[in-house]
Amino acid sequence: MHIAFWQILLLTAYAFVAQLDALSLQISLGTPLLSGFFTGLVLGNVPMGLTVGATLQLMVLGVATYGGATVPDFMSAAIIGTSFAIISGQDVEFALGIALPIGLLLTQLDILARMANVYFQHKADRYAEDGDADGVSQMNLMGIIPWGISRGLPVFLGLYFGNEVVSAITKYLPQWLMGGLKVAGGILPAMGIAILMRYLPIKKFYPFLIIGFVLAAYLKVSLIGIALVGFAIAAAYLYFKNDLKPGAEGGDIDD
Amino acid sequence: MTDAKVENKITKKDLVKVFWRNILGLQMGWNYEKMQGLGYCFAMMPVLKKLYTTKEDMSKALKLHLQFFNTTPAMSHLIIGADVAMEEEYGLENEEAISAIKTGMMGPFAGIGDTVFVAIYRSLVFSVASYMALQGSVAGALIPIIPAIAIWWVRYEFTMLGYQQGRKIAIGFANQLKQLTEGASILGLTVIGGLAPSVVKANVPLVFKSGDVTFKLQDMLDTIMPSMVPVGIVLLSYWLLGRKGFNSTKLIVFLLILGVVLYNLKILG
Repeated sequence: MHIAFWQILLLTAYAFVAQLDALSLQISLGTPLLSGFFTGLVLGNVPMGLTVGATLQLMVLGVATYGGATVPDFMSAAIIGTSFAIISGQDVEFALGIALPIGLLLTQLDILARMANVYFQHKADRYAEDGDADGVSQMNLMGIIPWGISRGLPVFLGLYFGNEVVSAITKYLPQWLMGGLKVAGGILPAMGIAILMRYLPIKKFYPFLIIGFVLAAYLKVSLIGIALVGFAIAAAYLYFKNDLKPGAEGGDIDD
Repeated sequence: MTDAKVENKITKKDLVKVFWRNILGLQMGWNYEKMQGLGYCFAMMPVLKKLYTTKEDMSKALKLHLQFFNTTPAMSHLIIGADVAMEEEYGLENEEAISAIKTGMMGPFAGIGDTVFVAIYRSLVFSVASYMALQGSVAGALIPIIPAIAIWWVRYEFTMLGYQQGRKIAIGFANQLKQLTEGASILGLTVIGGLAPSVVKANVPLVFKSGDVTFKLQDMLDTIMPSMVPVGIVLLSYWLLGRKGFNSTKLIVFLLILGVVLYNLKILG
């Protein structure tokens, strides 16, 4: 299928707005899951968008900007990967094979945006010297431009030259690599899980990890079911912990 | 004299303004030099304009709040709320105290906030949502919007709580949050435990033949423990991430190469 210009513009606008959402309201537009879905919706292949978005989302479960660290941009990558696969009539693995390297590459643009904003910070410092409150406010809002462009521009360029790029890729990408990327797409969600494990107090609470595993692997409970069990255990843990504490009746906060 | 004091009172309307400017603007000017400093100053603006009417005071206040700041966005509301309360009471006469409380709170609050609002929030909301989306459900993609809006409400309450508690917030609330973090960690880890067998796909196609007997390696692995290969890859990734100089970007590249190599060796497929 040929991608229309209005579709390119719509997806570019989405990427621009989604990044601003990720920085502010965080209604999840800036996640691969929603950007993949939206791309599928615009290009008329929702199942593809859902699968690509969800697979990338699982990979980056634990990859977040802790303390302002830069991470790969799989939001824009999901848009470009999904689009390329739909344009060329390829499958989900093709989309993932495109999205992964692009997401890694786009890390650089995130760094550029954060660097560009230093300029506005310096200008704001000068406004502060003069006691100009509105000037400072404006400088903060100027940050919208680097942030939005860092996502909108790669999506626009990628999709604008998409047809040529895709035909080149499909011509030259060998089967050993495509098959390998398919396998890689299957095991990559392990990364998201591993990062979360690094971030949570696993040494203290590892038994609950095993409970979750047994529920899923042996008893085939769905994730929502596991979440409910987890909630019940957490509530019971806190209840008994407070109940067994000596002198709990006093209710003083001295621990 | 008392008239002037009443005039400078911070109203609920001001706090609501600060809340929205905080949620919308805290990270717009994020930069490597002062991180959220520019956004923090932006969020405080309605209060600064009300409290500091001379040019000198305003300049002093702007410079104070443009300083380095960085914490989990959701937690920043508690700090800003407390800051508003302090400045309403003492103004700028104790600049160092305001600065000290801001910087003293942002670190510990980021520790709690990144665990609860980032790591656990994501592992719960997006693992369930992605799992549904993988099964073809459109609802899976849209479900994350609901808890996201619930978080706005939490952030609004944090602003008001920070304002009411003032500087006490640093001590009292941290203790309560410790309990919440523990409970949330248990919930998060239970779900993560269930995640590997649900979403990591690693099938071993190797088949051995000895005479008439064919022997599938995957079946043998399954009788030892289901999802053994996915768990192995998760543990390998976990171990690698703990090594010096290894990060998530390197892990992506490593897993990509691993996938291609294992496919071509016909171990995974």
